[in-house]
Order: sequence, then structure tokens, then C-alpha cells
Amino acid sequence: MQLIVNITVLAAIYALLACGYVLIYRVSRVLNMAHGEIAMLGAYLLYTTASLFVGNPFTAIAVAVVMSLTVGVLVYVLLMRKMTGEMVLAAILTTIAIGILLRGLIVLIWSAAQQHPLEALHFSNPSIGLFGGARISACAALMVVMTAVVYGGLFAFLRFGRWGVRMRAAGQNPLLAAQRGVNLNAVYALAWALSSLSGSIAGMLIALDSGLDQTMVVIGLKAFAPALVGGLDSLLGALLGSLIVAAAEVLAIHYIDPLLSDVVPFLVLIAMLIVRPWGLFGTREELDRV
Amino acid sequence: MTSALLAIEKLEVVYQRAITAVQGITLAVEAGQIVALLGTNGAGKSTTLRAISGFLGLDDARVTEGAISFKGTRIENRPPHENTRRGIVLVPERDKVFPNLTVAENLIAPVPRGTSLAEHRRREALVYQFFPRLGELKTRIGGLLSGGERQMLALASAIVCRPELLLVDELSLGLAPVVVEDLLRRLIEIRRELGITILIVEQSATVALEIADYGYVMENGRIVLDGTAERLRIHPDIQEFYLGSKSGERRNYRDVKQYRRSRRWYG
Amino acid sequence: MSRAPRASGYFRTSYAQDLALVGTRLERTSLGMFILALLAFPFMASAFQLDLACQVFLACVGALSLMLLTGYAGQISLGHAGLMAAGAFTVGILFRETNAPFWITLPSAALVGALLGIIFGLPSLRLRGLYLAVSTLALHFVVIYLGGEYESRRGFSTGIVIDPPTLGGVAITDGRVWYFILLTAAATTLLLCVNLLRARSGRAWRAIRAHETVAEALGISIAGYKLLAFVISSAITAVAGALFAYYRGFVSVEAFSLFLTIQYLAMVIIGGMGSLLGALLGATFVTIFPYIIEIGLLALPGAQRYASLLFAVNYAGFGLVMILFLIFEPLGLVGIWHRIQSYFLLWPFKHRSASGSRR
Repeated sequence: MQLIVNITVLAAIYALLACGYVLIYRVSRVLNMAHGEIAMLGAYLLYTTASLFVGNPFTAIAVAVVMSLTVGVLVYVLLMRKMTGEMVLAAILTTIAIGILLRGLIVLIWSAAQQHPLEALHFSNPSIGLFGGARISACAALMVVMTAVVYGGLFAFLRFGRWGVRMRAAGQNPLLAAQRGVNLNAVYALAWALSSLSGSIAGMLIALDSGLDQTMVVIGLKAFAPALVGGLDSLLGALLGSLIVAAAEVLAIHYIDPLLSDVVPFLVLIAMLIVRPWGLFGTREELDRV
Repeated sequence: MTSALLAIEKLEVVYQRAITAVQGITLAVEAGQIVALLGTNGAGKSTTLRAISGFLGLDDARVTEGAISFKGTRIENRPPHENTRRGIVLVPERDKVFPNLTVAENLIAPVPRGTSLAEHRRREALVYQFFPRLGELKTRIGGLLSGGERQMLALASAIVCRPELLLVDELSLGLAPVVVEDLLRRLIEIRRELGITILIVEQSATVALEIADYGYVMENGRIVLDGTAERLRIHPDIQEFYLGSKSGERRNYRDVKQYRRSRRWYG
Repeated sequence: MSRAPRASGYFRTSYAQDLALVGTRLERTSLGMFILALLAFPFMASAFQLDLACQVFLACVGALSLMLLTGYAGQISLGHAGLMAAGAFTVGILFRETNAPFWITLPSAALVGALLGIIFGLPSLRLRGLYLAVSTLALHFVVIYLGGEYESRRGFSTGIVIDPPTLGGVAITDGRVWYFILLTAAATTLLLCVNLLRARSGRAWRAIRAHETVAEALGISIAGYKLLAFVISSAITAVAGALFAYYRGFVSVEAFSLFLTIQYLAMVIIGGMGSLLGALLGATFVTIFPYIIEIGLLALPGAQRYASLLFAVNYAGFGLVMILFLIFEPLGLVGIWHRIQSYFLLWPFKHRSASGSRR
């Protein structure tokens, strides 16, 4: 039973992070390799606002959320916008570089020591007992709830309205989309804002649950496997992919070897790439008409 | 000239800050006309169309000199979606449909002028009337359409945007003559029913001069000839190089290929 | 393969001339002077500068192999560090388990690299671009995991120590000897790459990079040449890793993180894709960069405070430079060089006309 709880929590973490990758990819075919760092930045921002707004934890959270949204938009407007129309490889490398830059800046501003936003917020993280003798921490439970909320919101936004189609169109053929009236900059900025928002929420919750330090980037990177397994431009796929990868990882740690935790997502990824490269629900690409 | 819907003056377009593709051209399109832009490969015709529609940072192209005016307002170096909102819509030569969307989605994706959803739906219905074949193909994926169907879809998605000026780049490229005839007829129908002005770029002068009212001939980034379709059809140089009339003896290409920028031909 | 014609009246009139690596007298003299400078350097430089030069040569080997794979054959690979780790670990494992000398371990490293190259390259037969990059990334993690497993299983949790290679009973530890060894390695790799590119393989790779479907239609064996690119590139990379192991005398998984791959990618990008000269320039730039930052930082007042932040500043600075190059000069240092050349060649004209002659 505890295993199922663990799987659900890990799947929630992965899902929240994975949808960030999906949003940006769907809209611009760019793989945002800085997603882990942006999520981490969100958590650090929460730590700072928590220290600033002592006694007002909810204000702190709200401010941190707004700042994360802004970070996403800024990263797009200042840096990624210049890459519109350039080769996708160059754009991906730019995101890698942004990630490196952010990581360096974070250490410079906040130092590499582990931080505890939970204490700064004066929250507690009690362990809740569930049926079957399993236990789950309050923050982890909150994480699962937030995943449902975020995904619900995103599905609603993308399904009701033509903008879901337009975002996919922008991803497939940006020039044509622009020639058909789609304001690419607005669409991209929106995707980046939503992506950094969801990533930051994930980062904040992870930090609240288990402390905040540089290792969060690793989770960000691992979360990329479920995004791909599900199909890089499918939200539903990200959800499903997260479940699959989380299950594989938890079971492997439990039954085989705890050291495997960092490799299992990538093994699942490799398996999926061999069998079905575009993922479970992704759009089949590369229609090559010479 | 001031009454022209689209006026281009001494336009210069440069790629990658090093190659001048269009070297100072001047042309005008009156409302309701169909104007043809002729020329061989590399003459700069497609570049001109893209300059009118707007570049996107791909190919690092820029308008470096001259002016493009649409209904009196300068529009050079504006992004494509802005010009589409103004009513200038381009049907590109390559990548003209969204390959992984269905036909129906291809027609949903454009953002037409005037944001009313009802209006958008009406336009879609209209477009299915012009191109009934697309109605049969609603769930087919764009990338799997045949050449002719793709061109139809491209035209249709352009018309959904409610253009005032339609720019068509190489309509006939890669299509069978029968298909091209069909498309041309529909273009004329569209001009008649919707009152859209059309600027069409073509390598095939035969095709273009069939429907055009007026034509410009470009070469090496310059306009070397212009006139009404009538005059162009009977012009000996055009006949020789574009319409393929025989002349009996072999001629040296270099000797014969002299164009002079002719004086205006009207009266 | 003949290079682009020169602007002035330099014509090649025989096949021998066409195949020659250096043509004009200017090229010959400048190359000669450069070689002389390289040979004289170790006798005039300090130990620190020698070490720096050795690092640059090591980096060159890795950068050249990556340029071959990504810059010419167009196969995006994020598994570079994993391949270097494989080479280094081959040396480490062979040394620890069997005490093998370097003339066994180095070829073994190359062999291991080649085998891994096949594995890393197999996805490229089905995947392209992003998906290929991701598959190589995943394989990188697998290799690192295996290396980590070996370390912990055999009790080398802090890493494997390796004795320096011996030649005729004498251990090679002198900085100057290493300089020449690594210089030779870099030069050999460069020659190898130049010749691979001038031959059929080079043309095939360029064709594959430009448009794969068309290349296949022209009769080029896509699978064969893609795998060839991976195999050769991986073998060279593994040897680079092996040399790195010997030079440092130490092998550990931490040294082969994703950041190392990114550094090599940066070398290729900053140098300029599709140019061997770019690989060399990029390798030099990225290797020297941290030291420049350090000097810059220490020159600021209150240097002591910043010393602890050095690593973070390095990181951030590196990211910043990469971004600047990607946004403003995607063609890299070589692109800058060509622009300067164009400016002088075309002057007083600013632009080339589309119908004019191409350089």
C-alpha cells in the first residue's frame, strides 16, 4: 500500500514538471532544458519571500507565484524571443545555457547550502495516515492535489477554444502560423509563463516537503523522461507517462537496487524510443515529402 | 499611383546582410486587379512577396531600402501576423499547410480579421463551397494530401483570414496542368465573388498571363518589363523566353538576352 | 574534394595540387611558423602554462570528434561525456584488474569506444534531431550509472588512481613530455578528421546532414555512414577520455557529468559548426575561459571574498557566453572570422548581389 502512495506522489511530481516541457514543446518545438532550474528558482523565490513576509505565509506564496510567472515571461522575452526562427538545436542549446546561467546565479545569490522554506513559512509537514497503514506527508498530499488542479486548468484552457489548435499549429510551422494571423510572440510567452508557473509550483512543493538545494535540477531532468514517454506535445501523455515512469522507479528501488533511482526513468525512455519514438500520444512527426 | 491598394517604391531586400535579392523595384497593384509577377528562378519574385507579407527572422532577411505601402500606410519590416490582420495574406510556395493537423484543423487555426466566432464559421462554410473537395477530406492529415489538394487547402486557409490582398507564390509549381486550370478558375471566381485583389508570382508565364490584368517581369532583382497582359503576351522577348515560341535558328543566349527597361506602354 | 576557388588568380592545375592540404605560399609559411611556435612553446612556458596547453590539446581531440559527428554528419549527440567516461574507465579497470600497460589500454579504450559508438548510433537509424539527442542523453546516464556501480562495488568510492604510463621502464610524468604527446594526439586527430572529410565519407556525411532523404535517393547508405560517424567519433572520444585518465592519473565518475558534454557542445558551437578550425578555436576558448574568469575575479578589489564563489561565477559566466554566442553569432568564432574576411574582400561594396560570383 505504501508503494502505491509512493508511486502516486512521485507521479505527481513528475507530472507537474513534465507538463512544463510539454507546453513549451507543443508551441515552439523547443525542449526547455532549463525547466529544472526554473522550478528550482521558483522554490528559492518562495524561500526569500517567506523570509520577507514573516507571519504572512500566504502572501509570501502568492508573491512567489507571481514572480515565477514573471521569470518565465522574462526568460522568453529577453532571451528566447531572439531565437524565433532559428534552428531548433540552437534554441535547445540556448535553454541549456540559460539553465547553466540560472544555476550559477542561484548559487551566487542564495549559496549552495540547503535551505528550508518550510520553516521560513512556519508551516509544519505532518505525516498523515491513510488506509492500509500507509503514510503520506501533508506537502506530498498537497502536491497530488495541485497536479490535479493544474492539469484540469490546462485541459480546460486548451480544449475549449481554438487556441489549442493554434498552439499546435505554431509548433509545426511557425512561419505559416504567423502568416495566418497567429501572434507567435504572444503564444510563446504564454506557454513559457504557464510552463514556469507549473514548474515553480512543483519546485516549491518539493522544497517544502524535503528541503531545497541544488539536487532539484536532477529531478527536473528526470521528469523529462515521462514527458517524452507520453509524447512531447500531449498533456494527457505527460500524465500517463509520469505514472508509468514513477511506477517503474519505485518498484525498481524497492525490489532491485536503490541506486537505480536515477537511471530507471532513462531506461524507460530508451525502451519507448526503441518501440515508439513519438511517445504514447504524441503527434507523429517527420513527414518527409521530398 | 496614390490610389493603388499596394504601392512598392525602390524596394531593396538583403539576405544575411550580404546578398541583395531585390535591387530597387517599383510596382503598384490597384484594387480589384489580378497582377502577375513573372521571371525565372532567383529573380527575386518570391522575396518580393515575402517582403510584402513580412519576414520572420528566418534567412535573416530585411528590407533595407525603399517603401511598401498598403492603403497608404507603410508596412515594410512588420511581422507577418500584423500584415495578415491588415488584410494581406500570403499563400507560400513551400510549407503551405500544417502537416500534422487535419484539414478541418488547418481551417480553424487561422486568426481572421474581426474576431467574431460566427463570422469565422461563416467564412469556413464559404470556403468549403469554393473547394468542395476539401469538405470530403475534413479528417485527412494535411501532410498526406496530394499536391493539388494541398494547394487548395493552402488557398482555403488564406481566404479564411478575410484578405483584401491575396499573395500567391508559385501556384502551378509541381502540379498537373489540369489541376492548375482548375485552381485558376477558382481564383477568378474568388476575385469575382469576394472582391479580393490578387498578386500572383509565377515562373510559368502562360499560366500567369491567362488570368492577370497586368504584369511585371523581374530579372536579377530588378523589374525589366511591365505592361498589361495583352501587351506582354505579344511582346517578342516574352514570347521568346517565357512562352517558348520557336525562332528557327540557334541563337547565342548572351547576345539575345538584352532587356531594356522600357518606357511605359500605355498610349 | 576541392575547396572553394580563391578570389585572386590562384588556380589549381594538377590533381596533386588539388589534393594538397596547403596550397599557396602564404599558407605554407604561416603554417610553418605556427608549427615552430608550437614546438618552441614548452621551452619558454611556465609549468602552469604547460598544463593549460596540455588541457587545450586534450580538449581539441574531444572537440574534433564531436565536430565530426554533429557539425558535419549532423547527428546530435548528448552522450559525449559518457563516451569519455567509457574510455577513462576502460583504462582504469584494465589497470586495476590486470595492470595492463598503455599500449594495451589505449587501443582497448578505442575499441570500447567503437563498440559503444554502435550502441549510441543505433538510435540514429530511426530517430532524428531532438529524439536522437535524447536517446544519446539517456545512454550517457546508463554509462555513468555503470561506472558508478563499478566504483562502489570495487570499493573505489572516491575514484581510481592510475599510475602514469611507462615507456622503456621510465614513467612519463614530465610536463614537457606530456605536451608533446598530447600535441601529437591532437595533430593526429586533426589530420585524421581532415582526411575523412576530404574522402567519400566526408561527402556522404555532408549530404546526410543537408537532406537525408535526398542523400538516400542518391544511393548513399544512410545507415552505414551514420554508424560510421558514430563509431569513429566515439572511438576518438574514448581515446580522449583514456588520455585524460593517464594525464590526471585519476578516474572518477564525477568528472564526467552532463556539464562536460555541455562544455564540448559549447566548444563546437562557439567555434562554429561545420568547421574543424572552429573545433580547435572553440576548444581553446572554453578551456581557457575559467582561468580568464579567475584572473578577472582576483583582479577585483576584495578578491578574497569572491574566491569561494569562483565556481558559481564560472558557471554563470559560461552560460552567459554561450547565450551570447547562440543569439548574436550562431556561426561562432569561425563565422566572425568569415565576416571579417567578407568585409575586406567585398570592400568597397557592402553586399554581394544575388547573381554575382560566389566565394
